[in-house]
Amino acid sequence: MSSAEQINHELVRLRVLIVILASVFVALLTIMWRVQVVNSTHYTKRLDRQSIRRVRLPGVRGAVYDRNGVCLAGNNPNYCVAIYIEELRQPGRWANTIDKVEEVIDTISTEFNIKREVTRKNIATHIQRRLPLPFLAWRNISPTIISRIKESDTPMLGVDIYVEPVRTYPQGKAASHITGYVGTFKPAKDIDIPYHYYLPEMEGREGIERSCNDILTGTAGGRLIRVDASGFKHDRKFEKEPVPGTDIQLTIDLRIQALAEMALHGVRGACVIVDPNNGDILAIASSPAFDLSRFTPRIPTKYWKELNDDKRLPLFNRAISGAYAPGSIFKPLVAIASLENKKNKATDEFDCPGYFELGKSRFKCWKSDGHGLIDMRKALEQSCNTYFFHVGQECGHEKIYHMAAAVGLGYKTGVPLGGESAGLLPNDAWKRARYNERWRGGDTCNFSIGQGALSVTPIQIALYTATIANGGTLYHPRLLLDQGSNSHNQHRWTTGKIANQLNWSGLTLETVRGGMFDVINAPTGTGKRALIPGLLMAGKTGTAEYGTRNNRKKNTWMILFAPYTKPKYAIAMIVEDGISGGLTVAPRLKRLMIGIQQLKNNEETG
Amino acid sequence: MTINIKKDILHPILRMDWLMNVAIVLLLITGIMFVYSSCYIDNELAVRPLYKKQIGWAFIGTLGYFFFSVLDYRRLRKLSWSGYLAALVLLVTVIFIGKEMYGAKRWLMLFGENGIGIQPSEIAKISILILLARKLSMPGENFVSWKPILMILALVGLPIMLIMQQPDLGTSLVLLPMTLMMMFVANVPWKTIGTLALIGITCISIVLGAVLIPEKLGADKVVQAKVLRLVGLKPYHKKRIDVFFNAEQDPLGAGWNKRQSEIAVGSGGLWGKGYLKGTQNILGFLPRSVAPNDFIFSVIAEEMGFIGSTVILLMYTTLIGCAIRTAFVAIDKFGRLLCIGVVAMLFTHVFINIAMTIGFMPITGLPLPLLSYGGSFMVVMMATLGIVQSVFIRSHHSPIIYKQGRLWETTPGS
Repeated sequence: MSSAEQINHELVRLRVLIVILASVFVALLTIMWRVQVVNSTHYTKRLDRQSIRRVRLPGVRGAVYDRNGVCLAGNNPNYCVAIYIEELRQPGRWANTIDKVEEVIDTISTEFNIKREVTRKNIATHIQRRLPLPFLAWRNISPTIISRIKESDTPMLGVDIYVEPVRTYPQGKAASHITGYVGTFKPAKDIDIPYHYYLPEMEGREGIERSCNDILTGTAGGRLIRVDASGFKHDRKFEKEPVPGTDIQLTIDLRIQALAEMALHGVRGACVIVDPNNGDILAIASSPAFDLSRFTPRIPTKYWKELNDDKRLPLFNRAISGAYAPGSIFKPLVAIASLENKKNKATDEFDCPGYFELGKSRFKCWKSDGHGLIDMRKALEQSCNTYFFHVGQECGHEKIYHMAAAVGLGYKTGVPLGGESAGLLPNDAWKRARYNERWRGGDTCNFSIGQGALSVTPIQIALYTATIANGGTLYHPRLLLDQGSNSHNQHRWTTGKIANQLNWSGLTLETVRGGMFDVINAPTGTGKRALIPGLLMAGKTGTAEYGTRNNRKKNTWMILFAPYTKPKYAIAMIVEDGISGGLTVAPRLKRLMIGIQQLKNNEETG
Repeated sequence: MTINIKKDILHPILRMDWLMNVAIVLLLITGIMFVYSSCYIDNELAVRPLYKKQIGWAFIGTLGYFFFSVLDYRRLRKLSWSGYLAALVLLVTVIFIGKEMYGAKRWLMLFGENGIGIQPSEIAKISILILLARKLSMPGENFVSWKPILMILALVGLPIMLIMQQPDLGTSLVLLPMTLMMMFVANVPWKTIGTLALIGITCISIVLGAVLIPEKLGADKVVQAKVLRLVGLKPYHKKRIDVFFNAEQDPLGAGWNKRQSEIAVGSGGLWGKGYLKGTQNILGFLPRSVAPNDFIFSVIAEEMGFIGSTVILLMYTTLIGCAIRTAFVAIDKFGRLLCIGVVAMLFTHVFINIAMTIGFMPITGLPLPLLSYGGSFMVVMMATLGIVQSVFIRSHHSPIIYKQGRLWETTPGS
């Protein structure tokens, strides 16, 4: 084939192509003619029917209950009156339309006797910014007025009613740190939202609301609502029902929670109560608390500022975020570490002259005239510092460190509440990194009585107490008892998850628990003020000093488990700036335990 | 090599196809007007000045247009392989670090997360166009054997596979007709073309079959999903095809755009509702995220009616006609095939987009050349049109010196 022939062929092909392309375009034009001219009326009719509003409805947020089914967070309907300004569009300037909208609002206002809530300026701003969206003339209208509006004969063009669920917290101040609260969810910018009215959903900001947000949030649905000239009688053309979120049941017992909060009334502090048999958290109290009932429908700015400015930090959950020196409540652990590592025997006796000498330094016992010659059980009962200085020196820091880590100190417990602190479990490596100094014997002395850099959170201490109570099983804290009791995919966790199984010997347990028993039950015990006749309990007080040399302050602790033989409650309580564990906390724990006892009695009789 | 402003730049510009220039300018102005119309009332204040960005893109596009007009297209032959490889590299890059929008990873962000986004698939279009024109215009090749054909198919297939990963069905849909049309004009035997077309039709039938048949037979969801995966389709592909055949089944979800676009076009009538008066768009029934780009034609059709739509179609016909005329007068096969490639690109975009807006084809997400909002596509389209001008300037239509290709053509030793 010659080159000229080749080109000729190409040009023939080109002509064929022209015919094909031209006929396709003619076909396209014909279809366009059919759609736009022949069938135009059909589409125009469909357009007229489109006084349809496309509304996005968020799924109702799941509720939160305590272990007895008492509601901590739920939903209430909030009725709003909405006006579609576009449907009231008047010829000419926008001012005419604003007049019309005002007229409609005034009519509703007089007819149903509800006070006007919006100004002319609000309407103008809405037209400028969000014209296609409905203008909410009233929010939070009482249901009776709503039913009157619905039954009214007067046709009201462009007016509609919305029901939006509003989060409610019926318990007010109780368990507020656990429940947390919600805020409006701001959708990501580039999400395609072809809705006329986008009802936003709520998003958990703190507490369970935040940590379980994915479970609680439902799936949004959509509605095509036809608003016709006869007023509100809209029919819902197509629906994609929103799916409600999943309900959650907590292990918290709100009655016990209330008792714990009562015990902390008027002081700054925290209390955590754990079931030592499975790690269930029965109460997490932090004082002062905040009032969740004031958080709905939205937090008043003034109250929010008040909470944030309060020096007592009411928004701070001390029970899981507060890290404190444990003081003497650390001593049972030191005893366990030494006994388990065979560094000391329970029968070892040391003399306490009121101080302990290490080289040139002198470490003081709280009792300046000394405890005399005592054994371990007595030392626990008396909380003798000198005895534990000796134990600390003989056992060595590393062994105690490892035992403390084994019961979870220095690690986050993983309780599903945000902002948890891990506390601090210091050792040589830490001190070198922090102060560029080696760990010294004096550090071990401080460490042995729960002072120094060591810090722990109340929830860690509650779980540590539970471990002593149940004989050496460290549980993961369990806060979620049940999920989805309102739906098909119910999920229930039946047993607590074990974090660490510590095989403490019977002798060790006997000594330590015995000492802790004496703390409350011996007439000289440091925690004797917690004694309740007829209820055998064991515990340990602690008074941790902090602050500058001239301005010493004390955080006062007490741990406790009860009943002594078959423990059902393990409790850790701290009161900031108290006098001492025995004086400040023990009476509070006594009140708490009496309350729990009464609860159990009522349960059994009634 | 020195550039003589008068000889190398001014003379070529004077010899441009001015009818084509007029068509392009009219389309650009129409595009900016209707991007404005589709956005001026948007809730998001940031979206309202979208038309200003479009003016910017049109300007950059015009620069590209003149650059490629003045540049001798024969120089592109040498650049074809490097251009192709660069496009491949970009396509692979976008899979890893591309920005995801509306469920597809199509954009490479320059100048930070909120900077300028470029679409490598658009760059792929122009580089495939040039490489195909070169491969198909190899002297002495008559394409009787299958070997060169398979080679070409592999060269087109590789970027298509990468683009499908994004996923972007629309762009792949443009590349196939382009290849076929260029082969057709390149004198590839009828038998070969016929076979390829047959294979294409079979593939489409398999895809449609995989989407529609298992459901008709009452197979459960697991089996349906399995069949889809076998054919290599994503669930959203199935959704779109489903919607095309039965839009009412999910009026809130996938069917919405199709339904609203149809109503917009249909309610336009003969004369339309007037500029800036399209209610479908103003009231937000036509989603604002797609109105200025993929659905710009619905906005035009609603506001300007059948008359307006016809005018738009006439403008495109003029543009395509100009490119075909250039193919006739081109002095070599390379130039002719470049023009045909551009014709195919324009034609496929226009046809698929309009057919989709009037509910005649599934929603595939292809923009309208020069009208739709979008940076990469605008610049690439203008550049390809510039190539057509370059062929025209150096054609039989022009004085002899251009035909001989002295301008910008490097001779040995220079």
